[in-house]
Amino acid sequence: MGAARARWGVAAAALAVMAGAAMAGSFALGAQAAEVKSIAVLTPEQGTDYGWNQQGVDAAKAVAEKYGLKFMPAEGLGYGDVRPTLRELSEEGASLMIAHASGYNTAAPEIAAETKTPVAIVDRPDAMKPGLVADYTLYAHEGAYLAGEMAALMTRTGTVGIVVSGEPPSWNAQSAGFAQGVKATNPKVKIVYAVIGPAAYSDAAGGRRVTESVISAGADVILGQGNGSSFGMIEAVETTKATDGGDVWFIDVIGDKSSIDKGHLLSSVMWNMVPVYSAMVEDLKAGTFGTKRYRIQLADDSVKLLKTKHIPADVWKTVMATRDKIVDGSVKVDLVTDAEGVRKMMSSVAAK
Amino acid sequence: MEHLLTAAFLGSLLLGAVTAGVPLLLAGLGEQISEKAGVLNIGLEGMMLFGAYFGFAVAYQSGSFALGFLAGGAAGAVAALVMVLLCVRLGMNQIVVGIAITLAGEGLTALLHYFTFARSYPRLDKIGTLAVPGLSGLPVVGDALFNRSLLVYLAVLLPFALIWVFRRTQFGLNLQAAGDKPAALDAAGVSVMGTRAAAVLLTGFLGGLGGAYLSTVGGGLFLPFMTGGAGFISIVLAMLARGKPLWVLFGAFLFGASLSLTTAMQVAGIDVPTDVIQMLPFAMVILVLVVFGRHSYLPPALGLPYHRGER
Repeated sequence: MGAARARWGVAAAALAVMAGAAMAGSFALGAQAAEVKSIAVLTPEQGTDYGWNQQGVDAAKAVAEKYGLKFMPAEGLGYGDVRPTLRELSEEGASLMIAHASGYNTAAPEIAAETKTPVAIVDRPDAMKPGLVADYTLYAHEGAYLAGEMAALMTRTGTVGIVVSGEPPSWNAQSAGFAQGVKATNPKVKIVYAVIGPAAYSDAAGGRRVTESVISAGADVILGQGNGSSFGMIEAVETTKATDGGDVWFIDVIGDKSSIDKGHLLSSVMWNMVPVYSAMVEDLKAGTFGTKRYRIQLADDSVKLLKTKHIPADVWKTVMATRDKIVDGSVKVDLVTDAEGVRKMMSSVAAK
Repeated sequence: MEHLLTAAFLGSLLLGAVTAGVPLLLAGLGEQISEKAGVLNIGLEGMMLFGAYFGFAVAYQSGSFALGFLAGGAAGAVAALVMVLLCVRLGMNQIVVGIAITLAGEGLTALLHYFTFARSYPRLDKIGTLAVPGLSGLPVVGDALFNRSLLVYLAVLLPFALIWVFRRTQFGLNLQAAGDKPAALDAAGVSVMGTRAAAVLLTGFLGGLGGAYLSTVGGGLFLPFMTGGAGFISIVLAMLARGKPLWVLFGAFLFGASLSLTTAMQVAGIDVPTDVIQMLPFAMVILVLVVFGRHSYLPPALGLPYHRGER
């Protein structure tokens, strides 16, 4: 009898502990199911850049339509202080504010804490806070691997280039994925890597200047990662001949610039952020916002390569075969997100 | 690394240095004129943006780079009119008005871009060049330095012209007096406001011209915020050069050369963090100008409004 009473006592204590832990957990997480009525997106440039800004705005709009939410875009905010805009959107009743620039990832968590309006940020997974701050740093390294394979198959000079306007983790992942794709396809191909500036996202002149130098160093296929500065890279590709006298190809990222192409856009590593933003809305509703990372991948086509008329059929076929191997796991692409790790993978650095 | 020591690669670095330096040179010289007359023009970034937008728009629509440059300069001068009215005429705080002009430049040009080019992103071809006989054929440097557009040559000659204006002309002396002792200039029967207004308008024109060069030649297109702080760098150049136009010329091309050096270091595979490499242009220019330009001179009345009758 005494033993049975003791067992009941232990069981009751365990239940009490579990209940307490659950309650503490819910307080600690601070994540409670929320009603989602509207979605706001803040972008540094207008959502018409056929790239990062446009994909972000278009995806937020699509998700608003999908869930019947009010869509609240705030575009072209620049790279300065967005705190006033965040406060304004919060006061106007935004249920979720997507701060769509790495430059906003300090201000947005602050305003989230101040206004209690959930925010989504990029490039700061350390700032995640259940119920309040989610990070959606996205890695399209698998798609970039395919772009690297394509570049290695298309180069005539035996040198390809990567030009970036900054080194955020997302772009580092793509630079590294591209390098892996090049080396796996043809180890003899050299990779020249150059950064325009620490955060030269809208530096079109810098994009052009650096790309011209990379082309002069022998590259005839350029992977360009930049917001507005991508247009400067494209200008360089359009107005500069490769060292063999032929044309230079450009591989873009995130969006589709084929409607403004003058014949040099080979492909693009396209991102679809609709699944990511949808997951955020679902997480807000379920009370799990800010508790997990989001991803894009080849498997669900949230990452895919743009097919243009400039890609030879045999090259496309080869690349798509590799895509299938990545999806089924027979080809692994390493995720490298730090700048130092990226630079180690480049021929120009390794050649030292 | 040896494979990089080709004429094409070295030439592209030199060309990049010139292209990056010219907007800073034009805007920096403009700022120097304004500062000489006692007006600190913090709105240079905004004036450059106005020049960049209108310079590109006119060059694209007309097919003429020359018209684009003129339009860019004119747009910068129109933006400078605000500073003339509010600071020179009404004596308002030059820093506050300057910041307002910069913010207006960023916002308005972004808005104009949205309604005009934000979906088509038109791009210009390369600008025509003018070869200097006997020099343009030199290996490596020939094409990069002596086969450039007319505006580049004019920009390089401008500091020498300004030295002559500052030292040898009545207008130059008036500028100096407006910045040193505006009351004395007034007492001599010369309008301080008129002198300062002319200086600010010239600053606006040169800043706008620099912006137009940046968009039409540097980028080949216009993008919102594309100056990326070039106006502020020009202000720093002008202040560190302390009234000496040749120091602005030197500083602008040192900055451009440093930018090219950062590219060269990366392409050559110098294994140092990118942030350190990217810091070099700023560090180098500040170091050189602080060390060698410290004995130069800033006008005593710089940044101060002039009210007639005040001592």
